[in-house]
Amino acid sequence: MIAHPTLFTFTSGAGELILEIPTEQQIQAWLWSQYFSHPVSGYRAFLNKLCLSAILPWLEQNFAQAKPWTSTTALPSFWELVNGCAIVLDQMRLILVPGEEIDRGELRVPQEWVDIPSWSGDCYLAIQVEPDDNCVIIWGYCTHAQLQTYGIYDLSDRTYCLDAAEVIKDISTLALVKELVPKESIRSSVQPLPVLQRQQAQNLICCLQKPEIIAPRLEIPFPLWGALIEHGGWRQNLYQQRLGLLQQWSVWKWLESGVSELAQQWGWENLSLQLHTAGARSGEKIPPRTIVSRQLAIAGQLYELRIVPQSRSSHTNIWRFELRNATAKAAIPGGFKLRLLTEDLQPFPDNEDVATTTVELLFVEVACEPAEGVVWETEPLPENYDREILRL
Amino acid sequence: MHLRTNIVEIFSTFLQFEGDRFCSWVTDAKLRQSMQSCIQKIPQSASENFWPLYWYRIWQSQVKSFAREHLIAYLQESCYQASAKIVQTLRYSQYKLSDCFQIAIAQVDKVLKGFDPNQGFSMESYASAIFGSIIRDTLRQHHEIDICSDWGLLRKISQKRLVESLHASGLSADTIYAYLRAWHCFKTFYVPKPSQATRQLRRPDSQTWEAIAQAYKSQTHSQVDSQTLENWLLNSAKAVRRFVYPPVTSINVSTFEEEGREWLDNIPAAENSLLNDIIAQEEQQIRTQQLLEMKAILATTVTQLEPQAQEILQLYYKQGLTQQYIAKQLQIQQYTVSRRLTKARETLLRVLAQWSQEKLHISVTSDLLKSISTVMEEWLQSHFLGEGIGG
Repeated sequence: MIAHPTLFTFTSGAGELILEIPTEQQIQAWLWSQYFSHPVSGYRAFLNKLCLSAILPWLEQNFAQAKPWTSTTALPSFWELVNGCAIVLDQMRLILVPGEEIDRGELRVPQEWVDIPSWSGDCYLAIQVEPDDNCVIIWGYCTHAQLQTYGIYDLSDRTYCLDAAEVIKDISTLALVKELVPKESIRSSVQPLPVLQRQQAQNLICCLQKPEIIAPRLEIPFPLWGALIEHGGWRQNLYQQRLGLLQQWSVWKWLESGVSELAQQWGWENLSLQLHTAGARSGEKIPPRTIVSRQLAIAGQLYELRIVPQSRSSHTNIWRFELRNATAKAAIPGGFKLRLLTEDLQPFPDNEDVATTTVELLFVEVACEPAEGVVWETEPLPENYDREILRL
Repeated sequence: MHLRTNIVEIFSTFLQFEGDRFCSWVTDAKLRQSMQSCIQKIPQSASENFWPLYWYRIWQSQVKSFAREHLIAYLQESCYQASAKIVQTLRYSQYKLSDCFQIAIAQVDKVLKGFDPNQGFSMESYASAIFGSIIRDTLRQHHEIDICSDWGLLRKISQKRLVESLHASGLSADTIYAYLRAWHCFKTFYVPKPSQATRQLRRPDSQTWEAIAQAYKSQTHSQVDSQTLENWLLNSAKAVRRFVYPPVTSINVSTFEEEGREWLDNIPAAENSLLNDIIAQEEQQIRTQQLLEMKAILATTVTQLEPQAQEILQLYYKQGLTQQYIAKQLQIQQYTVSRRLTKARETLLRVLAQWSQEKLHISVTSDLLKSISTVMEEWLQSHFLGEGIGG
C-alpha cells in the first residue's frame, strides 16, 4: 500500500521516523477494538495496537529484543483504562504515547506512566498515528526526568504535558541516550503509592466497574487509582468487570468446565494426571486427576507451574502449587523460589519454597476459604510476569 | 541577494522583499544608532562573531533593550537561506520564498529560547537549522489542516493548539472553558468507525449530538442544546484554522514597540560589559576551533558510511529531495528511506557525541544530544551543498 504522497512531501525534518502499519494489522486492530466497554476505549486500543504493530519491528531491528510489557495478552486491560503502553528493551523501558494530533504542539503523557513506580519509563515516544495513510510517525521523545522537570501537570485529565519545544525531535538520538546518558539523568525518583487492603480494592473495583463511567482513571484520587491498577490482578479484574465478564480466574471452574478463554490466552490449561499411588495394586485403575498448569519462561528456560487440588470441603480447600522444569528429568537451579501471597500481596506462614541446591520440584501447600484469592510469584520472575489473582 | 558585510548593517538592517524577490536592505535608524554607539564603547570587539553572543547575553539578562531586534536583524541571512533551501525543494507549491521567510522570522523566539551558547555551537548554524524545521513543520501543518474537514480537524488538533487558537480569537476565559468542555465531550462520543477516513469525518449524527449534550450537562451542570454545542465546535475549528494561518504582516521593519526600550548607555549592565566582552570573546575563539574539528570529524564519518546510506544523505541534503523522491530514485520503499536516514544520522551523532565526551569532557545529556542533532542537521546541509560547489 502506498502512503499518501503529500505526507512525505511535507515531512518536517530528518529527525522524525515514519513507519508502516502492516495492512493485516489494521484489520486485526479493528477486530480487537470491539472488546472494550466504550467506543472511546475501543478506539484508544485501536490506535495503540496500530502504533505497536508499526514500531515493534523497527525496535527489534535496532535494539535487539523488544517486548510489550507486561505481555501482549495483558494489553487490553491497560487500554481499557489508559492511553499508552510500555516496551521493554534490554536495560531500557520505552513508553509509547500514540495520539491523533497533527499539530505536534505538545506531548501529553498520562500520569500513570510517570508516577506509578512499576509503570514509569526511561523515555516517552511521541507518536502520531495516521490510520488513513497506514503509517505512524515518531516525531519526538523525552525522558522521564524531562517530563518531571519541564512538564506541566494538567489536573483536568491527569497528564504531564510537555511543550513541543522541550521534546527531542530527533529519534536517531534515542539509541545514544540508551548508550551514553547516565541513567540517573534520565529518570527522576517516583514516590511509592499507598498499600491497598483487599476490601478497599474490591470496593473501588465495584464502584469503577460501571461502564457508564467512561474515564474511571479520573474518578478517584490518583494515589488510590495508581495503587489499584499497579496490581495486575486488580487491573485485570476491573477490566473484566467493566466488560461484564464473569469471574474468569476461578480455578474450581477451570477444573470442572475447562479453563476460561481469557485464562487460556495467559497459558493456563487443564491436564489429566495419572497418579502412581504407592499402595495401588497392579491392575487396579486409578481415575486420572485433572489439574491446571501453565508454562513459565524463567531465565531463558521453560518451567511449569501446576495447581493440584488436594482436598475440598465446605469451608476449606487445600491446594498444592508446584514448580518443575518443563523438560522431563531436568531440574530447578539453586536459588529459585516459589512464593504465594494473599490477594493484597501479604505473606503468610509457610508461603514459600526455596531451592537451596538444585532440586526437582518446588511446592507450596495452601489452605484457603472457598473463592479466596491467591497470588503466585517466582524468583527470578518469569518473562511477561503480571500478577494474577487465582480464586481457589 | 547581496550579503551584508558591515557590522553596523548586519545588526540594524532588514531584508525587504518586492513580490517574491529580495529587493534591498532597509535600515532601522534606532538600531543603527544603538549599534554605532556600542561599537564606539567596545572598539576592540569589532569582529562579527562577537556581537551575536553579546546581544544574546543582553537579551538573556532581560534588560529592556534592542537586543532582540538586533538579533532579528542579524539572523536575516540565516532565515533567508533556510527559506531558499526549502523553496527549492517545493516543486509546484503555492509557497514562495517570502512566505517561508515570514513564517520563520515570526517564530524567531524559538531560536533565541532554544539556543545555548555553552554547548559550543554558533548561533547562525543553530538558527539556520531551527528556521528550516519551523518552515517545514508549518507547511506540513498547513497541508494537513487543509485536507481535514472541520470534524476531522477537531479530533486531530491538540488541546494546546486549540486553547492557543481560542485565546488568539479573543474569547473570554469562561467561554474558552465551555468550548473546551464541549470539545472533550465531542472527542469522547464522536469516535471514527472502521474504514472511515479520519480526516474527512462528517458532521456527527443526531444520536451523537444527544450524547454530547448529555455529557456536557452532567459534567458542567449547565444545560446547553446541541445546536449551540455545534456552533461552539465549528467556531473552534474556525479559530484553529485562523490561528495556523495568521495574516502575514511583516514583523521586520518599523513594527517594534518602542516604549519601554532604553538606550544601552543608560543601562547599568553596560558598565560590566567589558568583563562580559572578554568572556564572550574567549568563548567564541574556543568555539570556532571546536566547530572546525567537529565538522572535520563529521565529514570523515560520512565517507565511512555504507554506499547506500551515503547516497540517501546526498539526495536528501544536497539535492533536497523528499523521502518520497528518494524512494523512487533508489527503487526502495519510502519507509526504508526513513529508517535508513534515521540509522545513518544515528551513526553520525554517535561519533559527534563520543567526540564531545572525550575531547571536551562534556558529559552526554539528553539536552546535549538535542543540540548536537539540531546543529548536525545544518552541517549536513552545508557539507553536501559545499561538496557540490567544489566539484
